[in-house]
Amino acid sequence: MTDCPNGLIRDQLPEYVHGVLAADAAARIDAHLDGCEDCRAEVALLGKARAAMALFTPKMDVASIAAALPAPRVAAPRVAAPRVAAPRVAAPRVAARRAPRRFAVSGVWQYAAAAALVLAVGSSALWLSAPERSAQRVADSSSTATVPGTAAALPMNAAVVAQSENGMTFGGGLSDLSLNDLQSLLGQMDSVRTLPSSDPSSMTPVLTVNEGGKSL
Amino acid sequence: MGVPHREADATVDLALIARWQGGDQRAASEIVERHAQALARFAASHGVRDAVDELVQDTFVRAFGSLESFRADSSLRTWLFTILKRLMLDRQRAERRGRNAVELEEDHAVQEFNALDGMVADEALLRVREAVARLSPLQREVFTLRVTEGLPYLEIARIVESTEGACRVHYHNAMRAIKEYLSDD
Repeated sequence: MTDCPNGLIRDQLPEYVHGVLAADAAARIDAHLDGCEDCRAEVALLGKARAAMALFTPKMDVASIAAALPAPRVAAPRVAAPRVAAPRVAAPRVAARRAPRRFAVSGVWQYAAAAALVLAVGSSALWLSAPERSAQRVADSSSTATVPGTAAALPMNAAVVAQSENGMTFGGGLSDLSLNDLQSLLGQMDSVRTLPSSDPSSMTPVLTVNEGGKSL
Repeated sequence: MGVPHREADATVDLALIARWQGGDQRAASEIVERHAQALARFAASHGVRDAVDELVQDTFVRAFGSLESFRADSSLRTWLFTILKRLMLDRQRAERRGRNAVELEEDHAVQEFNALDGMVADEALLRVREAVARLSPLQREVFTLRVTEGLPYLEIARIVESTEGACRVHYHNAMRAIKEYLSDD
């Protein structure tokens, strides 16, 4: 069995055998086969090869294969997507709700602790800087206390009054302060340099107030 | 050159895929019916016998599991052949590791095909089958895809991960080798 020298024709013989050539191409092959014994023999060989390989191939069970196939996944996400997406949206919402709540609860105590320290520092500073001042004068200024080291005037409730060791009246109970007052007080403490505690759970800030180079 | 025929096939396949993605399970059966036997022939041409149905089923399961990744730049059948070929390679590697088995060689394939000999095949078909089994693995792949499936070289090149020109050379070398084997009778 020899090979036909017409490579273009031989290249198309498998498609010819499968009957997938366009009509004009198939007609050219037919015309060529009429005068080419080699190509006729090759076409016969191709047919035998197809038959042989088909013969040695087991028949597939289409139903069992189809039964093992997964369900379509394209349609499912269209329905499931909102349900899947919902927790992703909800999670930040939960976190967003929790965060301010934690801040609000702990913030009250932070404000209270900070205010107590400010009052303590302020009273000490006032006592150190103006020992000659009378307790009455301090008591009169109880509505406005000056934090040493800052120029800020802290508005205080009139009811906040304290008595220092040298007779200086300074403040009262923190429970008398409203949350707004505490927040306002803390806001004005921005000018006071504060050092956070290394313990994140601690609610007691560490204050460092410089007054004439003195650290308190 | 058969292009309209293949385009029609591709159109049918795409329509079936769309139906299946829309929830029509019958479309899956139709797809299996259209391509299962061709996949089985390809597997059998590799000397696979006992596990052909399992391989074909695994091919479809894997294909349908990632059908959204199918891009119609090749035919569905070509894509399925590619998956099947990977599965066969994985299986061969696993067998080599697990049983220290040798890779399927020509003689091995011939013996497998000889097992059916005399029972179902006439002498002429058997000789052709033997001749095909004696081809190198790559020649056998190209020849099978070209002759039994009528695939163009470009699609064959995608399946066997080669070039169109190399596949043409493999095909003609395979044909020459088969003719030589048959002329020795």
